[in-house]
Amino acid sequence: MNKYTYCLYNGKRPVSWVSAILLVLALVFSGAGLAEVPNAVPPEGEHKGDDVPQPIHFPHDTHAKINEINCMYCHTYARRSKVAGIPPTSKCMGCHSVIATDSDRIKKLTEYWEKNESPPWKKVHDVPDYVHFTHEKHMKRFLFDNEDMEVERVSEVCAFCHGEVKDMEVANKVKPLNMGFCQRCHEANGGPSDCWACHK
Amino acid sequence: MSGNDINRRKFLKVMGWGGAGAALAGCDMPTTVTLEEGKETVVSYLMPEEYVIPGQGVYFASTCQQCPAGCGVHGRVREGRVLKLEGNAVSPINEGGLCQMGQAGVQTHYNPDRLTKPLLRKGGSLSEVTWEEALAALDEKIGANSSVEGGKVAWMTGTVSGHQSVLLEGLLESLGGAKHYVYDLINNHVAAQVNEAMYGTTRPTYHLTKAKAVLSFGADLVGVSQSPVHFAAEYAKFREAPRGVLIQVEPNMSLTGGNADLWVPAKPGTEGALAMGIAHELINNHGKDASALPSGLNGKIKAYDLAKVETLTGVPTDKVKSIAKILAEKAPSLILTGASIESSENGYAATAAAAMLNVLLGNVGETITSSGGFPFPQLDAKTGSGADLLQFADAAGKGAIDVVFFHGVNPVFTAPGYLDLEAGLGKIPFKVSLSLFADETTNQADLVLPLASALEDWGTHVPAYQPEQSVIAMQQPLMEKLYPATKGFGDILLDMLKLRKVEGYTDFSDYYAFLQDAFAALPAEFKNGVDNASFWNQTLASGFISIPKQNASITANALDIAVTLPGENINYGLSLLPAIRLGMWDGRHANIPWLQEAPDQITKAVWGSWAEIHPKTASRLGLATGDFIKVESVKGDVEVPVYVYRGVFPDSVAVSVGQGHQAYGRYAEGRGVNPLTILDSATDGKTGEPALYGTRVKVSKVAVNKDEILVQFGGSESQVGRKLAATITAEVFNRTEGA
Repeated sequence: MNKYTYCLYNGKRPVSWVSAILLVLALVFSGAGLAEVPNAVPPEGEHKGDDVPQPIHFPHDTHAKINEINCMYCHTYARRSKVAGIPPTSKCMGCHSVIATDSDRIKKLTEYWEKNESPPWKKVHDVPDYVHFTHEKHMKRFLFDNEDMEVERVSEVCAFCHGEVKDMEVANKVKPLNMGFCQRCHEANGGPSDCWACHK
Repeated sequence: MSGNDINRRKFLKVMGWGGAGAALAGCDMPTTVTLEEGKETVVSYLMPEEYVIPGQGVYFASTCQQCPAGCGVHGRVREGRVLKLEGNAVSPINEGGLCQMGQAGVQTHYNPDRLTKPLLRKGGSLSEVTWEEALAALDEKIGANSSVEGGKVAWMTGTVSGHQSVLLEGLLESLGGAKHYVYDLINNHVAAQVNEAMYGTTRPTYHLTKAKAVLSFGADLVGVSQSPVHFAAEYAKFREAPRGVLIQVEPNMSLTGGNADLWVPAKPGTEGALAMGIAHELINNHGKDASALPSGLNGKIKAYDLAKVETLTGVPTDKVKSIAKILAEKAPSLILTGASIESSENGYAATAAAAMLNVLLGNVGETITSSGGFPFPQLDAKTGSGADLLQFADAAGKGAIDVVFFHGVNPVFTAPGYLDLEAGLGKIPFKVSLSLFADETTNQADLVLPLASALEDWGTHVPAYQPEQSVIAMQQPLMEKLYPATKGFGDILLDMLKLRKVEGYTDFSDYYAFLQDAFAALPAEFKNGVDNASFWNQTLASGFISIPKQNASITANALDIAVTLPGENINYGLSLLPAIRLGMWDGRHANIPWLQEAPDQITKAVWGSWAEIHPKTASRLGLATGDFIKVESVKGDVEVPVYVYRGVFPDSVAVSVGQGHQAYGRYAEGRGVNPLTILDSATDGKTGEPALYGTRVKVSKVAVNKDEILVQFGGSESQVGRKLAATITAEVFNRTEGA
């Protein structure tokens, strides 16, 4: 199998029995995909991301699921900019100067803060430099300009490309974020199909 | 392929489908190949910066420093880093345009070969020192308590203007008689002196847009000029309907020549005779009034009948006739001059002869007007000349200089080789170089002061050529310094003034404070009726201060000067044409990969040097494109690949300037050759300018050098009749599309 046949196989992937069963199981156990984002067809595609060790083992589940903190509370630039933004360390300390101050992770965070440094987080999700992706437009289309959608449910929109981060501790890449993935979603949801909408 | 029963068309068809398949399948190629997870660090802000939204660009106005034209730029800054430069649409100099050199300004700024620390020569080699040590070394040499003799201190700079010029003047004055040599390889010193004699001003304003025909003697309107973006824009307007006619006289084709309606290669050094011939034809056959010219000059013109002109210049009689006809019919016209006529052995006389045509044709006051003057002489541009270089080399050779400072020049690279400036510099005990990079001159220095880049520094600039509206252009930092131990030019000058304990300067903490004070001191009429703080902010936002031009009339007196012609040299039968192109400029941009990669406008060559030779000459010498030749003058030789090309006068060799650096970082070093190293010592008698086009050479074939082979974009200079880009003549265009 050379690289082209590999590609062609990927492009017209027949749904294999194994993945179909896994999908059904996943739907049954997680309950995800049942509460759907209105006026949207979620993009298809999976990716098995590497585990990315972070300087502080940040538990997304504690924040987003147990404490129901809105994703945009920390990733505050998602609605305004290309990038969602890693929260400034001052934002972490806003809560953690009083909350869970005796946990090891928070002690480590406080160490960074007292040295006037931000933790050197490792990048998990990225697109190549020749792709112009903007969070702002996607948030507008699926959240703010989406009539039947409540802002509180933003994590379901994030999940389109980032997976169920609220079920993860440190985030993993679980969607391929490649051109086919983008394009299928653009076709299904009426996104632009001009080359230069993204490649500019 | 023959065995598979597949022809070219079928092959392309298959490739087409295969290509499409591969392209579509490529969409799902795993991106992990290039975008590995967890490899790159994303460091968040410690505290959110007010007004900063990560991912969103903010634009700041500043002034381009890639050449002395002073174009306004807008820099896009994201997360504190400048990413892109574009022209400032409201700047009267460039009106939104920015040339490739300006665009490449970010690669000067982010260049990996930047100097990052001061260097001091200790025991023969340069070693890193702190600024305290560097300033202590300076204090010892030129400080208030030193025994420095002002007359033995020299500064050599490129074009300098604005408040940096004010500080430099203050420093020179405090040193008592220190000499300021202003040197630019690319200058219009000869034309400026002709203008001064003819119009009483060195810089009249040219209006291409009002001209119906332009006769350019080597003025590269869309390439290298006093204000490249401005003249390119003027050229574009001039060529809009009703389309102006452009005639270009030059020994080797520039991009402007390539776009001309009539391209006239004249024998190098005889352009003045051609101008006299055109005047002869205009007076005799088109009724132009000879009384507009001095009677002595009239007498001289009479000697240039067209048969004689053809013999002297190589331009056929009918071509001279048609040039004269176009100029006579399309009034007003405009005659311009450039390096190939100005920088020859009889440059002043030839330029004066060309400029005389403007008087004869009645263009003065129509397409040439007064620049209206500039109200702040202390801020006005001091433009460079080659004569200053010769004087400097002379003084250095005599041991008349003890301390020298260099800024914005690399004379060891750009000086003609015969001056042997390296040896001259050896006689100067203490040499200081203010530079961004370790170049040929900096490597000779005893003290190297690393400059902040143009995108990290404050400054004001007064463009030497001011079009319709005069400005003081504002340069502000677009980002924090990349290297904390670099310093701005103004800050270094201020440091030196403090070492000299010059009154009036010691109180300023930095150049920024000095500039703010200087702005406050500007007369109120330039401040748009607002207070000082608002005026400062307005200037930072717009990028310049508008200076209204005074309306002044212009009168001209054609100069009664005899045109002389260069002598022949049987042993060195060819003329050397050291062409200067937009991109490499005088060699200062050879360390910018974008500009090395951008093909030469005419030959499409990249990353190297070449010699353009006319097919006739090539066949006489038995040369073909790709062969290597030794180009030899009485002063030295260089070896280059040949490019056989019709756009060059027969019996000449064109080698572009800019390559052949011995030291200038990884992208420039050891690449191509520097034709300036073999220049002959010819100068223009009147102005003392070195004659760049006054060198005679011979060529001989040598072995191919595999490291320096000619690399070109595009395989063919001709369409072989296939009409890939269809063309029509200007005449047909005017009839069908024009006015």
